Amino acid sequence: MSNVVLQASKLTRMFGGLCAVNEVSFDVLEGEIFGLIGPNGAGKTTLFNLVTGMTPPTSGRLTYRGQNITGLRAHRIAALGIARTFQNIRLFGNLSALENVMIGQHLSATTNTVSSIVGLPASRREENKTRDRAYELLEMVNLLSKADDKARNFAYGDQRRLEIARALALNPQLLLLDEPGAGMNPNEKAELSTFIRQMRQQFNLTIVLIEHHVPMVMGLCDRIAVLNFGLLIALGNPAQVQNDPAVIEAYLGD
Amino acid sequence: MIEFLTNFLSTYGFLIVSMTFSAMLALSLYLPLMTGQLSLASPGFYALGGYIAAWMSTELYPPLATGTTFPIPSLFVEMLIAAVACAILALLVGVPALRLRGIYLALATIAFVEVLRVLSLNLDVTGKAIGIFNIPQPFVTKIEYLYISLPMLIVCIIFMYRLERSRVGRAFRALREDELAATAMGINPTYYKVLAFMMGAILAGMVGAVSAHFLNTWNARQGTFDLSILVLAYVIIGGSRTFWGSIVGGMLLTALPEVLRAVAGIQGLPPFLTGFLTEGRLIIYGFLIALGTLFFPQGLITPEFLRRFARPPKASTPTKSKPLQTPST
Ligand SMILES: Nc1ncnc2c1ncn2[C@@H]1O[C@H](COP(=O)(O)OP(=O)(O)OP(=O)(O)O)[C@@H](O)[C@H]1O
Ligand SMILES: [Mg+2]
Repeated sequence: MSNVVLQASKLTRMFGGLCAVNEVSFDVLEGEIFGLIGPNGAGKTTLFNLVTGMTPPTSGRLTYRGQNITGLRAHRIAALGIARTFQNIRLFGNLSALENVMIGQHLSATTNTVSSIVGLPASRREENKTRDRAYELLEMVNLLSKADDKARNFAYGDQRRLEIARALALNPQLLLLDEPGAGMNPNEKAELSTFIRQMRQQFNLTIVLIEHHVPMVMGLCDRIAVLNFGLLIALGNPAQVQNDPAVIEAYLGD
Repeated sequence: MIEFLTNFLSTYGFLIVSMTFSAMLALSLYLPLMTGQLSLASPGFYALGGYIAAWMSTELYPPLATGTTFPIPSLFVEMLIAAVACAILALLVGVPALRLRGIYLALATIAFVEVLRVLSLNLDVTGKAIGIFNIPQPFVTKIEYLYISLPMLIVCIIFMYRLERSRVGRAFRALREDELAATAMGINPTYYKVLAFMMGAILAGMVGAVSAHFLNTWNARQGTFDLSILVLAYVIIGGSRTFWGSIVGGMLLTALPEVLRAVAGIQGLPPFLTGFLTEGRLIIYGFLIALGTLFFPQGLITPEFLRRFARPPKASTPTKSKPLQTPST
């Protein structure tokens, strides 16, 4: 049996009277691509915010590799190796692509604040390493030629790829992608699927992915969880989920 | 020529030194702004630093023999103590205050400045309404204060230049751009915000310590809300996306009233214009600031503007390679 990387148990988040995530429990296994689907407003993004510490849960428990991470602040969770992208892209718009990816490597520094400002040799070496690594990641997402351009001037698709490069810069073990294929045509989505598989391979990643496009999710994911009105209504491999009456109901019925 | 120079320096010595102080005060506001914090607390720390120097030099140190100047090392000690006191106060104030954002933080820091002012009006140690006067002089003329303020400013410039290119500076800017995304990168917002706030406080405190000697007296009119707004204007007009903006803004806006005065003194101007230039200086000042924000909404100095002077960007050779070799000569 593979290792459980992330475990949610009875995770709940209320917004006023609205239960955005309602007693949701699931395990994410080492190395899998785990799909998260559901109609608009189902609570998928809220679930990501809970896992990454950006929204504290109302109740329930989150465990990462056996460690209780419930209520940990976002930067501490990032430090454990959990990275994410955002549905409404959140790049550092006035900074260059290179700087965006360098900031993604914030945690890999081993020299301290003073040394970094004074520019001691160790920090300078580290700075060069960080820059080289950033160029490498930009090359991976085909943005090397735009390294010095401001992120906010990038085309939509380029921004999505830059955000992925920035997330990879954290050297994460668990990567959460919130609708990385939004606004892409079927061809681009197919390319994205290939790229996501490649990333998993190359970085030994476990990936949780939110995506609306059903063929892409079915083709890419090892297992899929379906949310509807904050409730987990189905969980299983693509074939199981596809034929689940509750899922068909949620997607087709009104 | 020499005569002209000495004339110029004795006429404008006060102004030139003031310009360096203004540039540093602007930097002290720019530092927290780098992390996206609109803090107007600098004048409070400036006032505190000034009182520490004023009190130490008039009460603590033995009185000077006539004809001697105040020893520079003693001034350094005052600056050091002002820096430490401001750092501690910034830590105490910063941790709770920096939870506030935008205009709320601005208001809270104005309140902080006001509290310090009212305290100084009521405490014996700060001389109440009268303040502390006859602060001993380390120099004979005002222009000589440049021996202290110019090296200070140069150190600040080197520091800021390094900071903006370092991992710490990048963390600051990430927080300013998008705090939530920054935390997702593992950046601890509290740590870096308080750090930037403390750096600004230390700088303002040290400038205050030198200013107290420079101005000879120190009282509750130093470091007030007015100064908060003035320093904010330095940063906004100068440009708030690079530290050069603060320096240029601080220097220009400090020199501006003097320039207007000089223009008014030109022979042969129609009397109404001379009158307007001397009496209406503040109106012109306000008008120029308004025009500045209209035509240079990003401030006078922007990163894009600076890039024109920068060395051409390194050819982005990708990957694996060692740092680029500069061609050997
Ligand atoms: N900060 C918030 N305050 C109040 N309500 C919120 C907040 N964030 C989300 N919600 C509500 O919680 C519900 C779930 O939202 P969420 O963004 O998680 O949905 P989603 O599944 O990601 O939808 P989509 O597919 O449209 O991205 C929605 O009804 C939303 O309005
Ligand atoms: Mg969403």
